[in-house]
Amino acid sequence: MTGMTQGRSMPVPERRAELARGLRASLPVMIGFIPFALVLGAQASAKGLGALEVPILTGLNFGGGSEFAAIGLWTSPPHLLLIGGVTMLVNCRHLLMGAAFAPYLRHLPRRQVLPALFFMCDESWAMGLADARLGARAGRSQPFSLAYYLGVSIGLYATWVAFTALGALLGPVLGDITRYGFDMAFPAVFLVLLRGMWKSVRAAMPWAVSLAVAIAVYLLVPGAWYVPAGAVAGVLAACAWARP
Amino acid sequence: MMPDPATLGAILLMAIVTYATRIGGYLLLGDRILSPRMTAVMDAAPGCVLVSVIAPAFAAGRSADLIALVATLFAATRLPLLPTVLIGVASAAMLRFMLPA
Repeated sequence: MTGMTQGRSMPVPERRAELARGLRASLPVMIGFIPFALVLGAQASAKGLGALEVPILTGLNFGGGSEFAAIGLWTSPPHLLLIGGVTMLVNCRHLLMGAAFAPYLRHLPRRQVLPALFFMCDESWAMGLADARLGARAGRSQPFSLAYYLGVSIGLYATWVAFTALGALLGPVLGDITRYGFDMAFPAVFLVLLRGMWKSVRAAMPWAVSLAVAIAVYLLVPGAWYVPAGAVAGVLAACAWARP
Repeated sequence: MMPDPATLGAILLMAIVTYATRIGGYLLLGDRILSPRMTAVMDAAPGCVLVSVIAPAFAAGRSADLIALVATLFAATRLPLLPTVLIGVASAAMLRFMLPA
């Protein structure tokens, strides 16, 4: 089991330095997380989630996009099939990200990798991968630094959980967010998230299909079926339009 | 303040699904080459869900809401999150006041 020994080979002071380097590198992203976290917490509290339930959600799930989507569809009691399905669809990109990560994780034992992957979000993944590529170019024998990745992850995770909880505490102070136009915060957040995913007009064509189908189903069918209907229509379009 | 069991159940379900997506790629796909079709589907899916969730905003019957949405959309293409949210909220509030339903 050479993997085991290599995974432990880094001396403690060096590991600590790597952790600190990751934490420092995550600072700008942490600041970027704060407004999203506050808005999510406030929206969750408007949907009836308590100030304890919000950090449980964001601490166990730790996936902003799926949390915004779930909260938007939250009812009392929540519709499990809808929430689970939407979570799967929003987060299925993790499958691709994990696959791209795998070659850099070969030297680590699974008992280290599996817990570490809990913290894999778009940002920690991108930063860990970028660092590993730099490391490979610099000739590091193990390009991926688990301690650096964990440093990034700790900073982002703590920020997300703490500030969504704060948002949930502040939310009720703002009162009914559908008054005074506060309901527009929700599409605003999603449009900014979508801009972050934007690659090209061609890549966004399935989104247009989703939007059109979702609007039609929303107008014609009662309930939240417009979400799975729109999502599935867009995914089918992406499948049909993919270059072979 | 005890958490609600139905809420906790939904949260737990989300947590399990999300963690499965995080380890699934590493465990199952790490050594495989994905077809371009599969890659295209997984690339497009998150945006498809997000845009579907906000579809009701696009289907609003009120002109004030639609104009505010266009202003928000415009802001989202060039501004960070916070100013975009502020513009969205302020424009919706103002337009609803100026153009009553």
